[in-house]
Amino acid sequence: MSPPLLTQPPRPAVRLTNVTKTFGAHTAVRQLSLSVPTGCTYGFIGPNGSGKTTTIRTILHIFHPDSGEVEVLGERSTRAANDRIGYLPEERGLYKKMTVHRVLAYYAALKGMKRADAAAEIQKWLAKMGLSEWADKKVEALSKGMAQKIQFIAAVIARPELLILDEPFSGLDPVNLEVIRAAILELRAAGTTVIFSTHDMAMAETMCDFIFMIYRGNKVLDGTLADIQRSYGEDTVRVNCTGGADLLRNLPGVELVRDLGQSQELRHPDPQALLRELAARTTVRHFEVCQPSLHDIFIRIAKPDSQEMQVPKTTGGGS
Amino acid sequence: MNKIRRVALTEYLNAVRSKAFIIGVLMLPVIMAASVAVQVFAQKKTDLTPRRFAVLDRSGQLYAVLAAKAKSRNDWLHTNDASVSVEMKGQRLKMDLPKQPEFVPEEFKPTGDDEKAAELQLSERVRRKELFAFVIIGRNVLARGATNHMELLYHTQTPTFQELPNWLDSTLNAEIRERRFTAAGVDSQQVRLLSQSVPLQRLGLAEKKTSGEVVAAKRDNPIATHAVPIGAMMLLFMTVMSSAPALLNTVLEEKMAKISEVLLASVSPFQLMLGKLVGTVMVSFTLSTFYLAGVAWMLWKFDQLGNVPGQLFAWFFLFQLLALLIFGSMFIAVGAACSEIRDAQNLMMPVMMTIMLPMMTWMAVLQSPTSPFSRALSLFPPATPLIMFLRIAIPPGPAWWEVALGLVLTTLFMIGCVWASAKIFRIGILSQGQAPSLPKLVTWVFSK
Repeated sequence: MSPPLLTQPPRPAVRLTNVTKTFGAHTAVRQLSLSVPTGCTYGFIGPNGSGKTTTIRTILHIFHPDSGEVEVLGERSTRAANDRIGYLPEERGLYKKMTVHRVLAYYAALKGMKRADAAAEIQKWLAKMGLSEWADKKVEALSKGMAQKIQFIAAVIARPELLILDEPFSGLDPVNLEVIRAAILELRAAGTTVIFSTHDMAMAETMCDFIFMIYRGNKVLDGTLADIQRSYGEDTVRVNCTGGADLLRNLPGVELVRDLGQSQELRHPDPQALLRELAARTTVRHFEVCQPSLHDIFIRIAKPDSQEMQVPKTTGGGS
Repeated sequence: MNKIRRVALTEYLNAVRSKAFIIGVLMLPVIMAASVAVQVFAQKKTDLTPRRFAVLDRSGQLYAVLAAKAKSRNDWLHTNDASVSVEMKGQRLKMDLPKQPEFVPEEFKPTGDDEKAAELQLSERVRRKELFAFVIIGRNVLARGATNHMELLYHTQTPTFQELPNWLDSTLNAEIRERRFTAAGVDSQQVRLLSQSVPLQRLGLAEKKTSGEVVAAKRDNPIATHAVPIGAMMLLFMTVMSSAPALLNTVLEEKMAKISEVLLASVSPFQLMLGKLVGTVMVSFTLSTFYLAGVAWMLWKFDQLGNVPGQLFAWFFLFQLLALLIFGSMFIAVGAACSEIRDAQNLMMPVMMTIMLPMMTWMAVLQSPTSPFSRALSLFPPATPLIMFLRIAIPPGPAWWEVALGLVLTTLFMIGCVWASAKIFRIGILSQGQAPSLPKLVTWVFSK
């Protein structure tokens, strides 16, 4: 997927400036600045509890920042733009006793949509998701996958300019995942700015124009995937050799050996020296020097034993 | 404003379409009619087995009279149906009273002087179901001053059956009195006339019209002075209690079902809370309208509607509104602060105690509506909706300035409750984990 034209858009869809949000003694987000260009897909990644959801809630003005400024769709520090934002929270819920149509009509009405427009939109989306015959059924009669699709429709029903999806693919089977993914891409193609948080690094790599990573309340990555990977250099090696991961772990200078089964991925400051070392010790069937994957970068920053904050690798684009 | 209206309307429709509401309101007349039918059916199933009892008359003078009175009662039961009649829009409505069993006495002559043996013998007959009970009349029962409580003894193994001992008590004592008067040479007819009590008539106050005409005081009407105030206050309490606590459940359910966050992306916490409050007020007003219409119809049917001042209906809705906003906002705050029903139950205690305060004190207010205690209580905002309403319903009602002051204080308190609850709601609705303590809730209220 190619990024949209980024010749300094006149006004970003979302701009956070030095935003800090604390809960008691815990700082959830610290001095965060972020700019989400209009019409792009922005991926929020980070370990659990790192501040993703707080950032999203701050953008939605569900949380008020302790300091800093929040500008969304041109509106500064007010909820005025909320009717133009669609939101799918991480933890989802629908009124079980209401019919599918009534739930969707209610959410559309809360966004200020007229009844007739909402009815047309509900019909369109239910048809698109293959749920037309469920319109008059109660939500409690739906399967989990169906309910998740209804939840997604609730987020997009009011034709939002900005769509924020918190873990939109979690719990979906591959078929429904593809349906939702296609719908997101369609919305983006129609000009909707999409922000979504995910733990699926492969999904973030393939769908997002920009990646933003937050760790312990601090921004640690922000930019296009290519820029982020470039900033980490070509120190990643993919190897297939006799001896496998056990042999590799015992070689000097080798870091972060990731066993992929048929091959192993690792980091080494001097790949040429590593190749010489390996060739002297074993049979090398495959040796490839590449840029680190997003998954690898994520692990490097947020590995469990990491005691110190990594140096932020901000590469422009977003902020 | 449009969003508050939308939330309120959805809350209202969700509530009135629920089975609980339909059963609770529309089925109420059906349930009441069914309960009356069951009672009537149960009355017809009264055990009419004749109650046979033995009489050991040691005085030797009362059995014959007792037997004659029992026969006369049984004859009356055979020829008459006990009933009461009620005046209803000019027509008399006759209602049958439950039927009563016959009383069949038999005289017991003991074989010796052993009182304990006689008592045991009769007790055995009761155990064998040959007798329902037995009575022992003492030797000195007719003596003046025979009040040692041991001259009339009633024995049974069915002490819950009251009709027989009551009848024996009144019949025997009436006869004993007559005989004592006669023995003392006093004309019992004369005594009855002389000892007849003079009923105390209760009246209101005389009035002087602007024309100078003096209007005599009217007789006290217990329906207007007691039944209407108590009934109206109880109805107000019932409608508030059947609506406000439901807010806790809806907020908690939305929180547990993770719906709140979706709603908060579209409406502000205050809009959401206010929408819920307004929706609940609409539900409660719907309930009240049903109940008040039913009560008014009943009063009209029995020609008692004139005992309810028309403005009382307006006061009812006004105080209901204030009570719902005060207690509803408290329940919303508790629901938002908790993540589980169990936690909510702990925090509900103080709210419930506040609601129950008028229920614990209304008797004292009814006894003395203008006492300093009643006045103070009716100006204490959490109690004002019920206690001031009760005072208004008791003729002639409190002074206008008391009502005005009560309304102002309660309105200010209500605004404070809604404001504080909004603060708690804003923080609590997305919080997870253990419920906060009361001091913690206070810090939420005063946080930025």
